[in-house]
Amino acid sequence: MIEAINLSKTYQAGGQILAAADRVNVNVARGEMVAVVGHSGSGKTTLLSLLGGLTRPDSGQVLIDGVDIWSLADSALSELRNRKLGFIYQFASLIPTLSVLDNVCLPSTFGPGLDNLIGTAKELLAQVGLADKANFYPAQLSGGQQRRVAIARAFISAPAVILADEPTGDLDEETEREIINLFRRVNEEQATTFVIVTHNREIAAQTHRQLVMKDGVLDAAI
Amino acid sequence: MKKLNLFKLAVCNLQRKVIRTILLLLVAALVSGTLLSATVFIFGMQNALKIGTYRLGADVLVVPAKNEEQARTALLAGKPTSFYMERAVLERIRKVEGVRVASPQIFIEPSSFTCCYNVDVFLVAFDPASDFTVMPWLEKSSRVTISGDEVIAGRAMPLMTGATIPFFGTPFKVVGTMEPTGMKFFDQSIFMTTDAAYRMAENSASRSMQPIKLDKDKISAVLVKTDGTISPERVALRIMHDLDDVKAIASDEVVNTVRKQLSGLLTGIVAVSGVLWTMCLFMIGFAFYMIVNERQRELGMLRAMGAKRGQVFSLIILEAVLITLAGGLLGLGLGFGLLFALEDVIRTGLQLPYLLPSPMVVQELVVGSLLFSVLTGLVSALLPALLASRLEPYEAIRTGE
Ligand SMILES: Nc1ncnc2c1ncn2[C@@H]1O[C@H](COP(=O)(O)OP(=O)(O)OP(=O)(O)O)[C@@H](O)[C@H]1O
Ligand SMILES: [Mg+2]
Repeated sequence: MIEAINLSKTYQAGGQILAAADRVNVNVARGEMVAVVGHSGSGKTTLLSLLGGLTRPDSGQVLIDGVDIWSLADSALSELRNRKLGFIYQFASLIPTLSVLDNVCLPSTFGPGLDNLIGTAKELLAQVGLADKANFYPAQLSGGQQRRVAIARAFISAPAVILADEPTGDLDEETEREIINLFRRVNEEQATTFVIVTHNREIAAQTHRQLVMKDGVLDAAI
Repeated sequence: MKKLNLFKLAVCNLQRKVIRTILLLLVAALVSGTLLSATVFIFGMQNALKIGTYRLGADVLVVPAKNEEQARTALLAGKPTSFYMERAVLERIRKVEGVRVASPQIFIEPSSFTCCYNVDVFLVAFDPASDFTVMPWLEKSSRVTISGDEVIAGRAMPLMTGATIPFFGTPFKVVGTMEPTGMKFFDQSIFMTTDAAYRMAENSASRSMQPIKLDKDKISAVLVKTDGTISPERVALRIMHDLDDVKAIASDEVVNTVRKQLSGLLTGIVAVSGVLWTMCLFMIGFAFYMIVNERQRELGMLRAMGAKRGQVFSLIILEAVLITLAGGLLGLGLGFGLLFALEDVIRTGLQLPYLLPSPMVVQELVVGSLLFSVLTGLVSALLPALLASRLEPYEAIRTGE
């Protein structure tokens, strides 16, 4: 489904060259749920961005459904992101001027437009426990609630792959469990592929496969 | 609920910092209003110039010395007026060296009672025998002679050949219409013979509620054609040398006075407008540069959601155009309001005819001004929008705070 071949990305900072991703090879199959763990600064977010085509690698390839994404023109790559990928960020990521419902619908603005968009959006909000907050604005929600809206947004176009960066970072255990259950349900029902970056061992344990990032090098967990 | 689209997104973004949006909008309004007034002003002034070149087909115009200003306003602005001097002047002008033809005209300002039309009408009586300025403007299809109670109507008069129109109690028959001359004085005049004018005045005592007094030995102006041996300026000087109490205006002099007064003013207006517009472009451009900067993370996320470069570009441009277009609308109101309010001040203050554009031209100005506002938004936000569309999504998301 999504495959990285010899993927490298280096940054120059303070005169040092830093390999945020160092010859990463990984192949995540359709319907697979993978956890990526690792210390802060080990390159997890960089890896997700590389896999999602948000940043161009220095070398190596990213294949999604067998297509080298960096061989695509910008518009084709944008379409691919719009239809096949869903991102969940490490930080608050809602547009403050849009209502919760509009935030969830936002990705469809750039795509072909979905049937029953509003219905789907409301259903997703219900699944993250925010059915009654559709007309609220982000500022009226708690951090955890905002995070859940962002999760609903990532699911709106039923993407084939979800790239989640510490999706349960500021959620309480109870909500965390609900979100993981949602992920697993979607994974089972729709064969959605998940790459989840997490510090949480419990969450990692619930995935099919755990990978460890260390100084830009990705390895299978022992 | 309205479906989310780029437009709604742009509007929402503008609501984010209302004060900033309003300030930018006011800047756009101010600039577009100023540019509009400047355009109308220049337009009117150029009209004035065109009329300034008004020669009446005459090389020299002789009017009573004390009525010089009045005469200029009448000729330049087409403002009805009347003033008189002795008919004897005519014969004396004919004797001045360099004069080939001298033809008298009488300007009569009709009272509101006598004409039923909602335009400034200027009655001009001319002498068909010596005339060389009126008849050449007659429409080809019109009759070539005029006599008795017959008149010729200027182009702007809502009159057709064959119509009857009363002045001071005397009904006149329209026997011809003029070609459009672009000169208000000509286009809004009704021309009759001097004989008819005297008769009309005579009869007005018994026929009209507002009679006029017009002695047979009075005329308003003498139009002179020179014989070409000496310049119109010199002929004008000679006339003033030979005759007392008259002002002889050479055609070029009329043009030059207007030109001198205008050219400096126009250059100034154009320069100031240009500087103002450039400043406005930079200001809005800079504001949008900051907007793109502060919204980097969001823009990166939009790209991650699948927004294409073109869509991000359009979003930023759309926001700018919405501001400048709204500003343009406001400016339109301000500009026209100002122009109408100041029309009289400008007319009297500058001692110049100042012509507001016709409704047709106003329409064109409205459309043009709004298009210009769109252009302003487009140009000013071009670079920031390009910048926004070229951001690498991850970089933007990472660095944007
Ligand atoms: N644009 C950049 N310029 C310079 N250095 C960068 C850039 N992006 C990432 N890095 C560096 O690359 C390394 C990996 O960063 P990354 O954000 O991928 O780490 P992470 O594993 O997600 O960390 P965390 O768990 O704290 O989120 C870090 O040392 C970071 O400083
Ligand atoms: Mg990270």
